Amino acid sequence: MNNAIRTENLVKKFGRVEALRGLDLAVPEGAVYALVGPNGAGKTTIIKILMNIFGATRGRAEVLGLESTRLRGRYFSSIGYVSENQELPEWMRLDSFLAYLRPFYPSWDRKLENELVSQFDLPLDRRLRNLSRGMRMKAALASALAYHPKLIVLDEPFTGLDPLVRDELIQGLLERAEESTILISSHDLAEIESFASHIGYLEQGQLRFSEELTTLVERFREVELTFDTPPHLPKTAPNTWMHLSTSAAVIRFIESRFDAEKTATEVRNVLGEARNVAYTPMSLRSIFLAMAKAGRDPYVERAER
Amino acid sequence: MRQVLNIFLKDVRHHWRECAASIALVAAFGWNEMRGWLHDEVFGAGIGIGGLFSSRFLSGLVVVLVPVAWSLVVVRVIQGESLVGDRQFWVTRPYEWKKLLGAKVLFGLTFVNLPLLVLDVFLLAKAGFRPTDYIVGLFWMQLMIVLYFMLPVAALATVTASVVQMLLALLIIALYGIGMGLLSDQIPSSSFSDPADSLTAALFFGICLAVIWMQYARRKTNKSRLLIAGLAGVCVLILVATPYRTLVAREFPQLNLQQEPPFQLALLPAEKVDPETAPEKEEEKEVEIRLPLSISGFGAESIAAIDGFMVDLEAQDGLHWNSGWKSPGLSLFPDQKSTRIDVTLKRRAFERLRSSAVRLRLSIAFTLFHDTNRREFVTPAGVFMMKDVGLCSTESTYSRGIHCLAPLRRPKSLLISADMSMSTCPVLEGESPATHGEIARDWTRGSGSEPAEFGISPLKTVDLYLTDWNGAASRRSTGICPGTPFVLSNPEPVGRNQTVLQIDGFRLSDYRLPSPKFTIGSVSIGAR
Repeated sequence: MNNAIRTENLVKKFGRVEALRGLDLAVPEGAVYALVGPNGAGKTTIIKILMNIFGATRGRAEVLGLESTRLRGRYFSSIGYVSENQELPEWMRLDSFLAYLRPFYPSWDRKLENELVSQFDLPLDRRLRNLSRGMRMKAALASALAYHPKLIVLDEPFTGLDPLVRDELIQGLLERAEESTILISSHDLAEIESFASHIGYLEQGQLRFSEELTTLVERFREVELTFDTPPHLPKTAPNTWMHLSTSAAVIRFIESRFDAEKTATEVRNVLGEARNVAYTPMSLRSIFLAMAKAGRDPYVERAER
Repeated sequence: MRQVLNIFLKDVRHHWRECAASIALVAAFGWNEMRGWLHDEVFGAGIGIGGLFSSRFLSGLVVVLVPVAWSLVVVRVIQGESLVGDRQFWVTRPYEWKKLLGAKVLFGLTFVNLPLLVLDVFLLAKAGFRPTDYIVGLFWMQLMIVLYFMLPVAALATVTASVVQMLLALLIIALYGIGMGLLSDQIPSSSFSDPADSLTAALFFGICLAVIWMQYARRKTNKSRLLIAGLAGVCVLILVATPYRTLVAREFPQLNLQQEPPFQLALLPAEKVDPETAPEKEEEKEVEIRLPLSISGFGAESIAAIDGFMVDLEAQDGLHWNSGWKSPGLSLFPDQKSTRIDVTLKRRAFERLRSSAVRLRLSIAFTLFHDTNRREFVTPAGVFMMKDVGLCSTESTYSRGIHCLAPLRRPKSLLISADMSMSTCPVLEGESPATHGEIARDWTRGSGSEPAEFGISPLKTVDLYLTDWNGAASRRSTGICPGTPFVLSNPEPVGRNQTVLQIDGFRLSDYRLPSPKFTIGSVSIGAR
């Protein structure tokens, strides 16, 4: 499968601060790729480099097969970019704004525009400065979807929005962008989980992992072992186990490379026979909380060695 | 073109108020200009609250407000798609930078140049000139406005994100200008006609264009700002490191031995100063020296414009002082017998050199003119057309001279000479009638040979007043009234040279003036 976005060893420094540290990212065509990570991880920085809003210090990035540094002008007619802190022409009425953008896009679809306006319940006669935050995001998204972009890039689109508006945005996004690749950065893991196909976890300017969401959810399990007598924690454990703890007759940990047979064998070998072993699937939120607490994905850590 | 028009129309919708205000001010400027022709009472306005709010004050305000309004239009329209920052929506839209720039240029041409062009055509026609005769000059004026006004304003607007930032940038530039002025005062010869001007101008336009290109094509704000700072630094370097004397020597070569000097200069005895009435003041930091000079040997149709002079003093004990090249703005005419050059020394230098006889070396850089195309003219009554000048009148002036409106530029070189005894003006109280042969002159010299001068109005004021260049202690004015005959001519430059007057045994203290009078920089000038 071709990649809609690809970066190689991307480095970005702001003075002495290294915002990106040799980032290698690949977003397959057709994917809904969620870029997640804590504040200051470098999500907005990488998106701005991809959109050629500013340049990288080192490394290279390709967007739709084009070097990101060459991305300007007509190339943006196939890219829709929406950011939470984008400065829109506040003085314009929404209908004027949409009318102004139309001639820029050969593929602008008036019918789709009307559908989006109607679906998002946008007040066309209001100036952009008078729209609420949610309305502004919806207006920005409508203006970025109406020309059937091949790539949609959304930088923290859900921040500060109420659940209803989030739902509307996601619904609109999914319905109208079936032929697009979507890159979305967000804190909102619960929302991401509902529609992302791929996920990348960015922390301190480095991509800790990047994979399909189903694979990620499959490989994480909360493991709970119940013994007849209070057990002792082992002195050594596999690198893929996280947050190993004990309480009364129970040992708990998180397995980051779950495989039914292999994990069962490792559990037996390290902890002995347990009265009961339970493998519980984890939500995306639980996985990221576990990883954030651990500092890094132990599997990746081992792989890096 | 579609994108250019789309952006342009959006800008018109957004900035129509600024545009309307700008056009209204241009119209007000035109009205003010016409009013000036009709009511030539320049010094008539009263002062005080009433005066402040008089129409004259407001019309003066209009002249200042027009460029301010233009600046606002240019800045606002450029910053409408700000090139500074990383949050603007348009940078991730299919804007072609050339088309965006094209739309902004179109906007500037439409709302700054076009109204001005229309006004200029209207004013020319209203003043009695046929605008079609001045097409090249009219477009030249627009080009000057673009180059000298809109280009730097646009360059600054591309590296600032708001009007406040722009004002801050202008404040920094003003402080820089003051600093350059102070530095220039410290560098000998730098105030003399600046030979590095063309280099500085080329750099200036080059950097402005480069900044605009870099911002629109690449949005490299930091690099663009560095470029502007670099220009400021280079200008300082040019000011400090220009070999002024070498350039003056090249521009004004010494006359060789075979060449007959066009005029001779000799140092006259010092003018008598009564020490009782003008005592020497020890606390004064500067001392003024006056060098009275006699002139002889002038050809009948020759005129010399003194472009610069340099005074060099050398004592026998090796002490040395040099004024550097200065611009006196003097002219020498065939019947002129004397002139004088005033130089200011720091008191410390004066004290070191005053006690002994020194060697004076006065270098004079001049342009020699040949007085050509002489024709006689008798001042008509009412409004009349004077060839090579424009529409003139003796009636609308507050003084006895000829007031003219010249289309697009002042005459390149126009000399009027008259025998003052032929003046038809009534002799005023306190005046004595001039004697026969007393020649008075006025020499108007426009700069360059471009088809138009830089400015908003297409009509340039030329005031011709006869001045006695060879009078006694002070200049004496005479009048031009209907019926006064005079000779018009167009002196043309024939060469530039340098001549040196060397005097041994010069006693500095003999030529000291009692106290500094009006000074320009470190030099004061005078002629008679």
